[in-house]
Amino acid sequence: MTEDKAAPAYGSILVVGGGISGLTTALEAAEVGCEVFLVEKNPYLGGRVAQLNQYFPKLCPPSCGLEINFRRIKDNPNITVFTQGEVEKIDGAPGGYDVAINLSPRYVNENCTCCGDCGEACETEITSDFNFGMNQIKGAYFPFEMAFPARYVISPQIIGTDDALRCKDACKYDAVDLDMERTTVNLQVGAIVWATGWEPYDAAKIDNLGFGQYPNVITNMMMERLASANGPTKGKILRPSDNKEPESIGFVQCAGSRDENYLPYCSYICCMASLKQATYIREQYPEAKVYIFYIDVRAPGQRYEKFYQNIKEDENVFLVKGKVAEVSEDSATGNITVVAENAVTGEKIKETVEMAVLATGMQPTAATAKLPADLKYNEDGFIINDFEKGGMFAAGCANKPSDVVSSNQNDTGMALKAIQTLVRK
Amino acid sequence: MTDKTLIEPDVGFVKEIIGLGGDTLKKCFQCATCSVVCPISPDTKPFPRKEMIAASWGLKDRLVSNLDIWLCHYCGDCTSNCPRGAKPGEVLGAVRSYAIADYAVPPVDGFNNQGGVLWRIINAKIRILHLITKPLVKAVNDPKMLPVLFAVPVVLFIVLGLITGLLDFSPPLGEKGIAHHLFFSTWLVDIIFVPLVFFWIFPIFTIGLLRFIKDIHENAVLEGKTDKNEIEYFGLIKGLIRVIPSILKQDKFKDCTENKDRDTAHWMVFLSFIGLFIVTNIFFVALYGLHIEGPYSQLNPVKWLANISGIALIIGAALMIYNRLKKTDQTSTYKDWYLLGLVLGLGITGMLTEMTRLGGLAGLTYFMYFIHLVFVFNLFAFLPFSKLAHLVYRTVAMAYNEYSGRK
Repeated sequence: MTEDKAAPAYGSILVVGGGISGLTTALEAAEVGCEVFLVEKNPYLGGRVAQLNQYFPKLCPPSCGLEINFRRIKDNPNITVFTQGEVEKIDGAPGGYDVAINLSPRYVNENCTCCGDCGEACETEITSDFNFGMNQIKGAYFPFEMAFPARYVISPQIIGTDDALRCKDACKYDAVDLDMERTTVNLQVGAIVWATGWEPYDAAKIDNLGFGQYPNVITNMMMERLASANGPTKGKILRPSDNKEPESIGFVQCAGSRDENYLPYCSYICCMASLKQATYIREQYPEAKVYIFYIDVRAPGQRYEKFYQNIKEDENVFLVKGKVAEVSEDSATGNITVVAENAVTGEKIKETVEMAVLATGMQPTAATAKLPADLKYNEDGFIINDFEKGGMFAAGCANKPSDVVSSNQNDTGMALKAIQTLVRK
Repeated sequence: MTDKTLIEPDVGFVKEIIGLGGDTLKKCFQCATCSVVCPISPDTKPFPRKEMIAASWGLKDRLVSNLDIWLCHYCGDCTSNCPRGAKPGEVLGAVRSYAIADYAVPPVDGFNNQGGVLWRIINAKIRILHLITKPLVKAVNDPKMLPVLFAVPVVLFIVLGLITGLLDFSPPLGEKGIAHHLFFSTWLVDIIFVPLVFFWIFPIFTIGLLRFIKDIHENAVLEGKTDKNEIEYFGLIKGLIRVIPSILKQDKFKDCTENKDRDTAHWMVFLSFIGLFIVTNIFFVALYGLHIEGPYSQLNPVKWLANISGIALIIGAALMIYNRLKKTDQTSTYKDWYLLGLVLGLGITGMLTEMTRLGGLAGLTYFMYFIHLVFVFNLFAFLPFSKLAHLVYRTVAMAYNEYSGRK
């Protein structure tokens, strides 16, 4: 045994994206001794998972997985995290890439104790992207209770206003630094893993389902925020138009998915997400009726199948085979009528519900914002892994639509691919 | 779902539908978007989702004898909203064309030679019709046979004309100048076209419709579209009367969004056919009842109607052709072009006949008139086999649907 195990023998890896995939990739690589740079464009880590109320099928909150991962990152000196960072430029080849990362200012430094005085002092309110625009937050805000890094953020929207100065004056710890500027960090890495994740498909593009037109038509990700204790309604599922507790809810599966006119592919998770969300409703409102309109329920694997079977037995959950193709609103009540053909009975159904949830799919982030790297994409914007060429790999939903479990398996594999790139150099 | 049905797929049927323009049918994954977006589909057993699976499974009986394929007006809303590009509108069009061919050939199975003399005569006639119509159905749908279809009236006119002496290749001028009947006698026209209607079109459609009504009723009972077990023809006729205003207004097309352009064009062609039908009947009555020979004065209101109808026919047919060429996502097959070509040709030759006559071009106008009659013959003689037969089947299907009490 002559090798020096303490030395970082593997060089470094860049992981782009700090969601569940990026976190897993970064940790898997770092924990075997690689130096890892993790770049996230939001001011916090956790990505889409952080916005969920519960995972399926265990129905545990995302704090489960995220908390332990944040802890592992904090304890691991091999990982350097850049939030509010975006990859600007990449040169080089597998084994040796020069990367320029653009960092936006947070205007809050490491002195922050999350006391919240800046938020109190700030008068301006901005729309919460984290809650999909369903509420307003202060211009100086803490992204969410468990946010990592645990530091406030000052929105660029209030920079240059009196509000910014009020925040600075309110801070007892000299943590607000309004002179922070956009900076560029240059890194040299041997391999890159793209864990750029997904965006909820823009439901307003679907022209027959009424999203953006009728307030009580929401998306599945909005439902996650409504059901979350840290969401805009403190976890109470209330319909947007009048904050009424809905007595009936319709789920519209494959909203803009498996459809040539929108996203042609299946996003894999939406059936399970709606079945899961049915449990949120049933728990909060034992009398509420839940209608799920589907083409076919895709609950792959034994555990998901079992979950589906359990929901099916619920007498207040009605599964209807038939895609909703028409949505209208009763302007007096705000109620939503969804129309489908029940393909089992061959009758047209017009079901009036108090709120409708569109089970929209995932669109890879790279579909709308091309990455500054020589990557191959399929026609839907998912990155195709070119293992012949190597050096750069896509993990998680940047590569294909998947649930958290399969993402994590895939992420571990891509961490290994990245490590192999360094070793073969 | 404890009902068990043994499916007997007719693969040959699936292939035929694919060949008739329904090549996308296998892409369907039964989401039922089509049944919802269809602006004219009923709430009870809506179409075309169920037709798509029947087509995919080769359930011929569920399609050919299904009135819903005729309720479809080919709006195209289903096709443009289909998430899979399965084009239900095109598939139904292909099924209709199969059904037309099916009902145009009188079946001979199950007949025997017992019974009275009259029955034997009818029976023999059905057998003859069967023998002629069977190859004709194929010919009408085969572009290679087009010259033959046009040659039939040419030969028939010349042979009959020469035998009877009713065709004069160097006719004198009439009292009012050029008169087409001096070239091609009205007697010759009528000894060809009157029997064509009464001994050809009429019996073929009668036999076809008797089967059709029986079939669509049985299918409606089977699929739960109606609560009437036994069909009452009186009720059916009352249904027909109730749908006539809707047919005259062609208002189903107005509900369409995707192929909205077709609304005006189809209506123009439809009304011009009615106009020309009225004109022809007036001329017929005038000729044999009042002994008034043509040509009519341009000031005569009947002539106005004829001219307006002729122009509307040309514009309507040209618009329909233009719309088909413009819409690249729409499948247009030979059956569509054959009919549109005939209609446009009919209008153009008709107007040219009149214009050359007014221009004093005797030779040219006789020639145009001859060609015009060739087009008329094609449209009439092959009516039960071409896409134009929809005017009979769709009307009856709409009447039945009205009668059935379906919601």
